[in-house]
Amino acid sequence: MNLPEGLAPEQLSDLLARCALRDQRAFATLYQFSSAKLFAVAVRITRRRDWAEEVLQEAFVNIWNHAAGYNSAKSAPMTWMTAIVRNRALDWLRRPREVEIDEEHEELMASIPDESPGPEELLRRSLEAGELAECMKTLTEEQQRCITLAFFYGLSHGELAEQMRKPLGTVKTWIRRGLDRLKGCLDELGR
Amino acid sequence: MRFADEILRDKLAAEYVLGTMSARARRRFEIHLRGNPQLRRAVAQWESRLSTLTDAVPAIEPPARVWQAVKARLKFGPAIRAGFWESLSFWRVSSFGSGLLALALIVMVAMPKPEGPVETGRMVVVMNDLATKKPAMTASWEPGQSGGRTLRIRVIGHAEMGPNTAWELWMLPGGDQKPVSLGLITTHETQIVKIPQALAARLDAAHGLAMSVEPAGGSPTGLPTGPVLYAGESIKT
Repeated sequence: MNLPEGLAPEQLSDLLARCALRDQRAFATLYQFSSAKLFAVAVRITRRRDWAEEVLQEAFVNIWNHAAGYNSAKSAPMTWMTAIVRNRALDWLRRPREVEIDEEHEELMASIPDESPGPEELLRRSLEAGELAECMKTLTEEQQRCITLAFFYGLSHGELAEQMRKPLGTVKTWIRRGLDRLKGCLDELGR
Repeated sequence: MRFADEILRDKLAAEYVLGTMSARARRRFEIHLRGNPQLRRAVAQWESRLSTLTDAVPAIEPPARVWQAVKARLKFGPAIRAGFWESLSFWRVSSFGSGLLALALIVMVAMPKPEGPVETGRMVVVMNDLATKKPAMTASWEPGQSGGRTLRIRVIGHAEMGPNTAWELWMLPGGDQKPVSLGLITTHETQIVKIPQALAARLDAAHGLAMSVEPAGGSPTGLPTGPVLYAGESIKT
């Protein structure tokens, strides 16, 4: 997008601080500059545009209501907002469901207006630089794959086991060891 | 669950952030989270650790109705818009390729004899609002290529979608052939719909396109069930 969208983290933090003071205009601006990124995160996890819209709506209501709880010393503003969206999306996925995702919906998903790179591609892109990149490389292929699938598609342990066609215990172990190793590696690099 | 153990705390925080917990485990964890600052810190740390993973997800503009719904739920006055909302939407439109098409249409209306090179060979459908008989949506694509088609959609004006409904785009093959669903679209001004290769040749030869209002999730029958709001014929430019 060629929007003047790149607000610096400090500007987003400032908007959140103003939201805490119930500045509705600041909230509108915050929405304007962060909603496309956050919507993409919701679409990625829910894999349904209509669900993602619900999630985004919930998330922004939460962002407004909890803006006072945001602490810029503890996390970057986009990280904080992304976590809210991810959590709402995961809650949504895990809710008792009347409708299962079926073939037709998978097809509808194909009309999502983006190039929809798969999780591997996203992983590759996000890992072109940075410490997480270095550390991800130290994981086994299975560990990487499990963590990526879980993160981008919100798969539970059980769903991952199904996807990877491996026993539940094996998948749990891969994830636990993968996360352990990531943490160790990142800590070593000074995060 | 006990959270005195730092290793256990960290492990659970990691699984919570990664998103592998079941609904029940998530709820239980969140209850502990409220009363446990150390646990909250562990979660925040994992969120930061994994945050760069999200950086590569390409942004998708949400439809305007999401913002309207947020405003309504928070009981904001109707006057609350970002000060530059309108001007930004203008720039957003013109920063997209499909915006150029819309702009070109406006220019053609303004100047009956456009001068300079005109892009030819594209398929264009100008869909009229069947109630007002005014242009409401345009679609364009590059015909005749191998592979699928990239349909560029532009919604003109401030369209509104009712709650629990969806907009479904249909290809009208012509003759007595049934409409073929091209998927759901949004009210967003500019959007792209990918058409699979299997439909590409039929789309190029189609009589036109239409949009109908369907239940959320799309037509349950595979054919339009709700009112057709917009329709138009294909034109080769």
